[in-house]
Amino acid sequence: MNRIFAVVAALSVAICTPAFGGNSLVQPGIQKAIARSSLSAKADGEWNRLARRDGKFVELWTRDGDSLNKVSFFGGVPIGEPLLREADKKNRPLPKVGSNMLITDIPALLESSYRIQFGANRFSVNEQEPATFGGYPGVKFSYTFINDADEVERKGEAIGAFIKDKLYLVTYEAPSIYFFDKDLSAFRSLVVSLQLEPKR
Amino acid sequence: MLSLLIAGLLGALTSGTAVPGAQASVSLPPFTVGYEPSSVDERGIWMEADERERRLRDSTLTDRDEALNRYLRDVLCRTVGQERCTGVRIYVVEMPAFNANMAPNGTMVIWSGLLLRVRSEAELAAVLAHEFAHFELRHSLHGYKQKRRASDFAAWIAVLGGLTNTNTSALQQSLLGSVFQFSREEEEAADRLGFQYLAAANYPTIAASQLWQNIMAESDATAIGHGQKPKQHYNAGFFDTHPTSLRRADYLAEESKKVGDTGRDARVENLRAAMASHLPEWLDAQIKLNDFGGTEYLLQQLAAQGGWTGELLFSRGELYRLRGNPRDIVASVQFYREALAAGYAQPMLRRNLGMSLLRSGQKNDAQAELHEYLRLMPDATDAKAIQALLIQ
Repeated sequence: MNRIFAVVAALSVAICTPAFGGNSLVQPGIQKAIARSSLSAKADGEWNRLARRDGKFVELWTRDGDSLNKVSFFGGVPIGEPLLREADKKNRPLPKVGSNMLITDIPALLESSYRIQFGANRFSVNEQEPATFGGYPGVKFSYTFINDADEVERKGEAIGAFIKDKLYLVTYEAPSIYFFDKDLSAFRSLVVSLQLEPKR
Repeated sequence: MLSLLIAGLLGALTSGTAVPGAQASVSLPPFTVGYEPSSVDERGIWMEADERERRLRDSTLTDRDEALNRYLRDVLCRTVGQERCTGVRIYVVEMPAFNANMAPNGTMVIWSGLLLRVRSEAELAAVLAHEFAHFELRHSLHGYKQKRRASDFAAWIAVLGGLTNTNTSALQQSLLGSVFQFSREEEEAADRLGFQYLAAANYPTIAASQLWQNIMAESDATAIGHGQKPKQHYNAGFFDTHPTSLRRADYLAEESKKVGDTGRDARVENLRAAMASHLPEWLDAQIKLNDFGGTEYLLQQLAAQGGWTGELLFSRGELYRLRGNPRDIVASVQFYREALAAGYAQPMLRRNLGMSLLRSGQKNDAQAELHEYLRLMPDATDAKAIQALLIQ
């Protein structure tokens, strides 16, 4: 009887697991190999790592669900690759990382990708200033956008840099009302702790 | 009795606005001011349309510019007549693609990308007339009923097929096809009725055909720009809801030949004046879509009408800089400089010219331009990032 119960329990666990989609808990502390790259960061609280990846070089973290707060790590997008997986490669290809892009081209690349992929027809890049990304010179910028799917105004803050011919970018996005401010400090402490480990 | 009524109303419509030679072979449906839905189905789809309209009214993406909205309403009223246009509310939505649609309750939606693409008021009138024709012919209701009939029928056939052990897939397939066929026929009917309005309003009727030719040419240019073969379909596919653009251009051109366009005014300048203040933002949205071929085609079209203005040259510079091949960067520098020579005075030109110069290795010239940008815009939101580029 017990054995049958164990089998049933094991089966039900197996069946239930996909319901969580393979999302996993990010414990406070140093996280290595983010976005399967040499990127590491120190989380000062719990986050959820989504099983969904929006592209080959992307890892997504959230606290309350990615439409409420989302941190995207773009871990070393090489030249010639788009930031995100293209939803319609044939008719709506995304812009690619270029060979001699400047730091000010990073916000423009993100904007164009969002306009095409998410129908973010209102997207404005606001403050742009120099910043260091894991010790490398980069750019920190803020932005506001509205996707046509839910028409919610979201704010974003990001830091990006070109390091050894690859684009590293970490963005934080949340609805302007309440949510953006709620986890902004948690994001900023992640940014401060960003490191590029020597090659694994 | 009904046909008499239709004939009477048709007479009333055409007597005031008809021009010599205008075709009057299409019967216009009965028209009542303040029409209310009359059946359960119609009340249902109106209720849904009302709900969608409420969302549209409150949407942040709806363009509420009064002058633009007034102009569009004037063009619609001029095209379909003062009385008929009272049943329609027009909403301009910020979407950088060619599209417009019409709901059964009189909500007309026009995407900003469509306004960027029409070359004359006559072309705009052709679109508005086409959409109005859908409304007047109650296509939403008919389409809805047709879909329901076909799916009811398909369900019964499946049951009967099951009972009699007969394979009904071919029949089901043809029923499905009939829905799409029906939709294509309605599009053509709306094209033809819209054409009548265009003719009655004394716009050059060839505009309806030209519009589709331009859309085809742009779509070819987009395909080439994306490294694909240009591909215009000569026949509508099984699942297509619209006739092919080529077929539409053809039958509309044929109609136009019959009517003749002498003495008609496309009112190009009126359109250009109404769109002028929106052009920069619409071009900006278009340029960021990574559609080099289509956008270059659009800019060429705009320049063919009013010449290469500073604004268009700046946009062209932006387009090339964003594609970003080394040769594009060099070309963008040239376009920015031409824009400067043509009197374009926005500080962004200095900034982006500086960026292109920097990317093509001309550091001294780049610094001069970026300094000029910072002089013009000391409080620019990207001033600190630009300063960082200057000291690198």
